[in-house]
Amino acid sequence: MFANGQLQPEVIRRYHEVIESLGPEFLKAMLQDMHTIRAFEERAEQLYGLGKVHGTMHLSIGQEATAVGASNALQDGDYLLNHHRGHGHCLAWGSDVNRMMAEFVGKETGYCRGRGGSMHIADVDSNNLGANGIVAGGVPIAVGVGLSIKMRKTQQVCMVIFGDGAANEGAFHESLNMASIWKLPVIYLCENNQYAMSMPVQKAFTIENISTRATAYNIPGVTVDGNDPLAVYLAVQEAAERARRGDGPSLIESKTYRYKGHSKSDRQAYRTRDEVNEWMEQRDPIMRFSALLTTAGVVSEDEANGMRDQAIKIIDDAVAFSDASPAPDVSSLLEGVYA
Amino acid sequence: MREITYAEALREGLRQAMTADPSVFAIGEDIGVYGGAFGVTAGLLNEFGAERIIDTPISEAGIAGACVGAALTGMRPVGEIQFMDFVTLTMEQIVLQAAKVRFMFGGKASVPMVLRTPSGSGTGAAAQHSESLENWFVHVPGLKVVMPSSAYDAKGLLLAAIDDNNPVIFVEHKLLYKTKGHVPEEMYRVPLSQTNVVREGKHVTVVATSVMVSRAVQAAEELAKEGIELEVIDPRTLKPLDDAPIIESVKKTGRALVVHEAVEMGGFGGEIVARIAGSEAFDYLEAPVRRLAGLDIPIPYNRELEYHTVPQVENIVREARKLARGEY
Amino acid sequence: MPIPIILPKFGFTLETADIVQWLKHDGDSVRAGDPICEVTTDKVNMEVEAPEAGTLFGILYEAGATVPVTEVICYLLRPGEAKPENLPVRSTSAETSPAQPMTTPSSAGEKSAKDVSATPVAQRVAEAAHLDLSRVQGSGPGNRIMRKDVESALAQPPGKVRATPAARHLADQTGVDLMTLAGSGPRGRIQAADVQAVTARQTYIEPIYDTPAAAAVAHDVPTTHSSDSATTELPRKVKLEGMRRTIATRLQKSFQTAPHIFFDAQIDMSGIERLRATLKARSEKVSVTAILVKACAGVLLRHPWLNATIDDETINLWPTANIGVAVALEAGLIVPVVPNAERLAMRAIQSKVDDLATRARANTLKISDMMDGTFTISNLGMYGVDRFTAIINPPQVGILAVGRSVRQFVPDAEDQPVLRSFMTVTLSADHRVVDGAQAAEFLQDLRGVLEEPSLLAW
Repeated sequence: MFANGQLQPEVIRRYHEVIESLGPEFLKAMLQDMHTIRAFEERAEQLYGLGKVHGTMHLSIGQEATAVGASNALQDGDYLLNHHRGHGHCLAWGSDVNRMMAEFVGKETGYCRGRGGSMHIADVDSNNLGANGIVAGGVPIAVGVGLSIKMRKTQQVCMVIFGDGAANEGAFHESLNMASIWKLPVIYLCENNQYAMSMPVQKAFTIENISTRATAYNIPGVTVDGNDPLAVYLAVQEAAERARRGDGPSLIESKTYRYKGHSKSDRQAYRTRDEVNEWMEQRDPIMRFSALLTTAGVVSEDEANGMRDQAIKIIDDAVAFSDASPAPDVSSLLEGVYA
Repeated sequence: MREITYAEALREGLRQAMTADPSVFAIGEDIGVYGGAFGVTAGLLNEFGAERIIDTPISEAGIAGACVGAALTGMRPVGEIQFMDFVTLTMEQIVLQAAKVRFMFGGKASVPMVLRTPSGSGTGAAAQHSESLENWFVHVPGLKVVMPSSAYDAKGLLLAAIDDNNPVIFVEHKLLYKTKGHVPEEMYRVPLSQTNVVREGKHVTVVATSVMVSRAVQAAEELAKEGIELEVIDPRTLKPLDDAPIIESVKKTGRALVVHEAVEMGGFGGEIVARIAGSEAFDYLEAPVRRLAGLDIPIPYNRELEYHTVPQVENIVREARKLARGEY
Repeated sequence: MPIPIILPKFGFTLETADIVQWLKHDGDSVRAGDPICEVTTDKVNMEVEAPEAGTLFGILYEAGATVPVTEVICYLLRPGEAKPENLPVRSTSAETSPAQPMTTPSSAGEKSAKDVSATPVAQRVAEAAHLDLSRVQGSGPGNRIMRKDVESALAQPPGKVRATPAARHLADQTGVDLMTLAGSGPRGRIQAADVQAVTARQTYIEPIYDTPAAAAVAHDVPTTHSSDSATTELPRKVKLEGMRRTIATRLQKSFQTAPHIFFDAQIDMSGIERLRATLKARSEKVSVTAILVKACAGVLLRHPWLNATIDDETINLWPTANIGVAVALEAGLIVPVVPNAERLAMRAIQSKVDDLATRARANTLKISDMMDGTFTISNLGMYGVDRFTAIINPPQVGILAVGRSVRQFVPDAEDQPVLRSFMTVTLSADHRVVDGAQAAEFLQDLRGVLEEPSLLAW
C-alpha cells in the first residue's frame, strides 16, 4: 500500500469503488473515530500515570483500524463480543465515550457502575455484550448468541473479536466447530496484534495465517491488513452478509500491531524498539487512512488535521464528565449479583 | 396418586417448560436420539425437533458457552453435562462468565440458564465418572446450586430453575434416576431456596442432600424402632441457602448431623455446621455437630470399596444413634 | 553382636524407673536418636533413645515394669545383622533386686482408681492433681488412660467448665452455677439435662417419675404455695464428683487408715513479728507461711520420722524436705509443693510460695508442682481461726495446722505484764509412724526456731 511512506496510486484506484459507495460522511466519521480511540487510549495512559486508574489496562493504540473497520460493517441490533483490549471496539461500536471513561475510572455513571472497569466494559442495551478478561472467554459465548439468533429467527449476526492468543485456546476450536455444524450467524474476528502478551505468533503458530484454521471447520477464512480499516470493513461486511443468508460463520484474521506493552507492567523485552518504530512510522493506521482520504479528496488537509483536536476535545469532555461523576456507594456493593 | 421416576419427572418438567415457553431449549451431548446418558431427555427430540433438543459434539466448554451466550440474548437454555466430573471442562464459562457477567456489567445483563448434571457414585463408574462437585459451585457468587432428592422435587425444582433469571447448577444423582415418587401432572414449581423438612423428629437433626436424603430417612425409620427420632432436613437449594428451618430444627433437637456424598473436607457440610454454630442454635447445642461424608479419596471401582467410600444407611444409623445417646 | 540398650540413669539419685510405654516394638527399624520407650521416674517422664540405627528386638520388660537403672531393657540389631540364636534374658539381678525402702516411693493411691484402667503414671499424676480418673478419656490400648490423657484433662483453661452450649445457655437463664454441677455427658461434659435436673428439683416443675405412685408422692408433698413461704426452697444439690470426689476419697481414707494424734503448741511469734517488721522496713515481704515452710524444713530433717511417707508395707524416710502448702480454691483444696525447702533461702521460699499460690488460683500448676511432698502446712490464720486440726495428706505422716497470731499480756521474768504475739499450731501425726514423743520433740524444736528467728539461718 505504502512505498517509502507514500500511498500508492493503485491502492486508491482499488478502493475507489468502496470510497464512492460509503460516501464522505461515513468515511470522515471512521477517521474521526480512529482519532478518538487513539486519544482515549493516550488519555487512559496519562490518567494511569496520574494514579487515577485502579488496576491495569490494555491499550489498543495502533489497532484502531480493525476496531473501526469491523464495527462499521455491522448493523444496529447485531451483537458484539469483545476482548480485554477492547476500548477501541467499544468506542467504534458507538458506545458513549463519557460512560466509557466513567467506567474506566470506576464511577457510578460508568457502563457497569464501576463494577467492571477497563476489562469488562459492556453496553448491553446496544447489544455490546462486553469486553472479556479471559482469553477466548467470549468465543464459546458467541456460539450461544448465534444459536439464540437462529432460534429467534432474526436477521442479527454476532461478531466475536479475540486475539491471536485466543486462537490457541481449546474453546476456540470447540466453538468454531459448533458454529460451523449449526451454520450459526457468527463472525469470528481474530485481531492478530503479533503477540500474546510476550509470545510472538511466529513461535505460537507454525501456520503463516491463523485464518487457515477455518479450513478445518469448513468455513471461509480470510486474512486482511488489520491496519487498513477498509480492508477490515470489506471482510466483515462479506462475512455478515453470509451469516445473514444463513450460510454460517466465517473466520477473519486482521493483522495489526500494538504499539504499547501488553499491559502497564510490560517491559517489552520480547521485541525491539526498531520493530515498534517500523510499524509506527511505516504502517500507522491513522496516518494511512488519513492519507488515503485526503489523496482521494474525501477530506481536506485542514479537516484531517482538525480531527485530532476534535478527538482531544471529546476526551477532555469525557474526563470532565467522569471527574464530576460520583463514585459507587459502598451501600450498593451487594447489588447486581443475582437477577 | 401417580408415581413416576426421578428421570421421568425431570423429563416431564423439561417438556412442560419447553411447551410453555419457546425460549427454553435443551443442549448437550447425546441428548437427542440417544435420549441422554441416563435417559432424561428420551423422546423429546421427536416432540421438539433438533432445533430445540440440540445434540452437541464432545465440547463441554462449548456447551457451557452456548448456554451463556443464548441466555444473554433472550433464551432460556437447559444444558446437560453428561457426568458431573466433566464440569471441570466447563469451569471457565460457568465460573468466570455465567456467574459474573451480571455483576461485571453493573447488573445490566442476566444469564437465565440451567446446567443439569448427574453426580454421585454407586454405579461402578470409578473415579472420573462418580464425583460430587456441587460445593465448587456453591463457592461462586452469582450461581445458584440445586440438588433434588426426590422425583417430586426434581420436577418442581427444574421448573423453578428454568424460571429463574440466574445461572442454576442443577445437580442430579445417578442412583435417583430410577427411584419413583409421587409427581403431580400439572406444571408446579418447588421454589428455589426453600429448605424442606422431610421428616420430623425431636432427637437429632440430620441435614442431608441428594441421595443421602433417602438414606437418612431409612436411617430414621430404623432408629425409630429404638425410640430415637431423627428430623431429616433437605436444603434442596444449596445456594442461596435457606438455613432458617435447619437452625429452628437444631434449636429443637440440640444435636445435628450433616450427611453428604461429596468429600467431607471442604464440603457443603462445613457450611451447614458453620451456619448452626454461628446462629442462635448454638445456645441449644447438646453435642458437637457431626459430619458424615465421602472419604477424602477418589471414588474406587471395586463395588465393596466404592460402597465404603460414601455414607450408607448403616453409617447414618450408627452416627445418629451415638449423637442421640450422648456419646459425643 | 547386638547392641544392648540399657535403662539410663537420668539423675544421680535415681535407682529405678517405670517403663510407661514402648514407642518402638520388636522388629521396628529405628534411626539413631529415635525414642524407643518412655520411662518415668518419680518426677519426670523421659525417653530412651536408640544409640544408633538398627532393628529393635528382645524387649525384656513390658510397659508398667519397674526397672533398675543401667539394666538392659532391649537390644538393637545392626543393619544386616541376624538375630542371635540365644535370645537375651533378663539379668537375675533385675528380677531379684528388691525395691530400696529408703529411696523408693511407692505409687500411692493406686487403689483409688482401680475401677478405671490407667497406667501407673497416669494414676499418680491424677492423684497428685486431685483429678478423678473416671472423668478422663483414655487414649491408650483398650481406652487405657495414659499420662498424656491426664495432662490434657488437667490442661483445661482456668475457671473453664466443660458444658454444651445448650447447658450454658440454660444455666445462664436459670442462674445455675455450672461449676457446681457434675456432667453426665462424655468426659464429664455438662448437658442441658444436668442443669434441668437442678432447676427441676428446685422448682418442682417436672415430676421425676411419671408413674402414678410418684404422682401420689408428689401430691403428698406439703403444698405451701403462699408467696410468703420459703419452705419449698430445696437445697442446691451437688454431685460428689471430680476434684471434690478425689478429695473426699483421699481424706476419708487417710482419716480411717492413719491413726491421727494431735499436738498443740502455742508459739511466741514476737521475734518473727520483729523480723517481718525489719524486712518490711527494707521493702521485703515475708509471709508467716513462708517462714513456717523454712522453719519446718530445717526442723524436719532433724526429725526424719515426720519427714516420711508410708505405703502398705514401707515407711520411706526422706532425705530432703518437700513442704506442701495447702491452698484453698473454689473447687477444693490443692497442695502444691516447695521442693528441697531446707536448701532454699527465705526469699526464695517466699517467691516460690507466691508463685505456687498464684498459679494454683490460675489453675496453671504443673503436675510436678504437686508431686513428692513429704510434709504439709495448712495455714488458716488469715481467716481468724485460733486453732484447728488437719487431716494428714497421704502418703505423708504429718501436717501442721496453723491458727492466727493473738496478742496477749503475759508475765515476764519479773512477773510484769508484757505484750506478746502467740500463734497456736496443731500437728497431726500418723501414729503408725510417729510416736508421741517424736511429735513433741519436733514441735519443741519448731517452737525454738520460731521463737528465736536467727536460728532460721542455721
